[in-house]
Amino acid sequence: MTEFAQYLISGLVVGCIYGLIATGFTAVYNATHIVNFAQGESSMLAALCAASLVLAGAPLLLAIAVAVVVVGLVNILVERLAIRRSGTDVTRGIIITIGVGIVLQGLAALVWGTDAQPLPAFSGPGSISAYGVVVPRQALWVLGTTAVVMALLYLFLTRSFLGKAFRACAMNGQAAALMGIPTGLMRSIGFLLSGTVGAVAGVIIAPIALMQYDSGVALGIKGFVACIIGGFGNPIGAALGGLLLGATETLAAGYISSGFKNAIAYVLLLLFLLVRPGGLLGEFGAAKR
Amino acid sequence: MSQSAMKKQALSRFLILAAVLALAAFSNNPYVINLLVVCGLYALPAIGLSLLMGYTGQISLGQSAFVGVGAYGSVLLAQHLQLDPWYSLALATALSAFTAWSLGWLVFRLKGHHLAMATLAIALILHTVLVEWRSVTGGPDGISAIDPISIAGYALLDDLHFLPLAWLVCYAGLCLADYLVRSPFGLAMRTVSENEAVARSLGIDAAQVKRKVMALSGAYAGLGGALYAHWIGYISPEPFSVAFSIKLLLIVALGGVSGVWNVLFGVFIVVIVSEWLKPLGRLDVVIYGLLLIVVMIYCRQGAVAALAGLYRKLPQRLRPGARAGLKLQGRTSA
Repeated sequence: MTEFAQYLISGLVVGCIYGLIATGFTAVYNATHIVNFAQGESSMLAALCAASLVLAGAPLLLAIAVAVVVVGLVNILVERLAIRRSGTDVTRGIIITIGVGIVLQGLAALVWGTDAQPLPAFSGPGSISAYGVVVPRQALWVLGTTAVVMALLYLFLTRSFLGKAFRACAMNGQAAALMGIPTGLMRSIGFLLSGTVGAVAGVIIAPIALMQYDSGVALGIKGFVACIIGGFGNPIGAALGGLLLGATETLAAGYISSGFKNAIAYVLLLLFLLVRPGGLLGEFGAAKR
Repeated sequence: MSQSAMKKQALSRFLILAAVLALAAFSNNPYVINLLVVCGLYALPAIGLSLLMGYTGQISLGQSAFVGVGAYGSVLLAQHLQLDPWYSLALATALSAFTAWSLGWLVFRLKGHHLAMATLAIALILHTVLVEWRSVTGGPDGISAIDPISIAGYALLDDLHFLPLAWLVCYAGLCLADYLVRSPFGLAMRTVSENEAVARSLGIDAAQVKRKVMALSGAYAGLGGALYAHWIGYISPEPFSVAFSIKLLLIVALGGVSGVWNVLFGVFIVVIVSEWLKPLGRLDVVIYGLLLIVVMIYCRQGAVAALAGLYRKLPQRLRPGARAGLKLQGRTSA
């Protein structure tokens, strides 16, 4: 039982990260109807940026804040330079975002090399144990930060004027434009949101899982799987899907085989795509069709 | 185009191709010959992807998986059943086509982004299996000491000896694909690509068309993979990763969909550019990604069409054969 609880806790911690990245996917998808295949790179970039800043002597909190802001700006730039020009063609959008991912990954390899860059844990390296279950302190940071970010995002989308405009744009871009909502700005906001949320995910997991130039790919795909499980474009579904995926993955790795751990996520992806493509909670704005 | 004109065109292309290869062979430059073999082997899966993505409009990030199935399938069949490489080659191609056809039943329930991710998942699952199923695939170390293909008891060990075989197969593949896209089935493929609802209303079974093209594309990929394995004599999971799928995507994007033969253009560009970029070290990946983005933004019909468009914009005195071009334009506008 202790073993099970241990696996479950680790799974939920990883699941939080998947959930955050999945939320990033939904922010971009809702604003642009593009699936950003470079989503995972935001997390990687932020973690490496923060690690470098800490190494250069910046206080941890400042380093993290700067990294998150920088990645958000990079995302806006990417949208302006590459993605806005792709038009509405799905295939072209996919290939362009793949290209963006390759470029970001290549640049990261140039700047930071191929070695993992360590980021110190936020409140010391120790762990807490209760009832025989050992939890690293950083894991608590992950759980707490995820809860706060999700709550802020929820408040932004449902309570603020800008958030309402963003949702209107997601439901029907043309109608929103006719109501005077600047859809171009909403696209930028979508990419900014996805960049910052992804960056936060990367920074909080970096002390537990070492990050290097190619860590973003796997994170991005896992985030997408979480989206599919929860229902594409649905932020609540994305969070739920992340937790579910994280727990399944760690439990399967613990009880079956750790080598095939990665394949489990992909098999889940295929299963959900084929059996329930709308995900558990249904696609966001599906009612419009 | 009339049939005799088509035959003439195919023959002239064959002669040009043969002349280029013969020239390379006589130059006796091992580096050039090696690159040409690589081009021929890249072209096969790329033709398959061009049929699936260019002509039928179904994106796939899983083409590398079928190349892997072909390569590992042929090698394992040859080693465990003591088959001659020729038989294992044929069996592996069939196996790859069958795998693609069966997966077609699953993945073509999806479209667009979902299809892209599902095919990506297939490629990733296969790669994981190749790495983890050590007892069969040899894990990350792969399988070595693969029998070469031999003709009449003479083993094709050399790049120079392998070159004609690779390109003969490639030429046959190109002709078949060219014939296919001009056939009524090719029109059905294009209709599915343009608008599935219209295709169905014309009595075209869109799902079946997609599955058939997927199977054919898998066969091309499998054949390419199997030939590669018997040529290089050693395989590991690395060349069959998603990165290869993306390379193929770039080839097809560069070539565009205005003709199957344009795939060769994409292949040459990608292979040569990656050779040029090798001395730059890590920067090569960045330039690669930028190329992908720029082609996708500025050359929507493929780089061949874009270059042709640029050529037409050149001042007349710089264009050899400009009169013929003018005549042609006059005729189309009339």
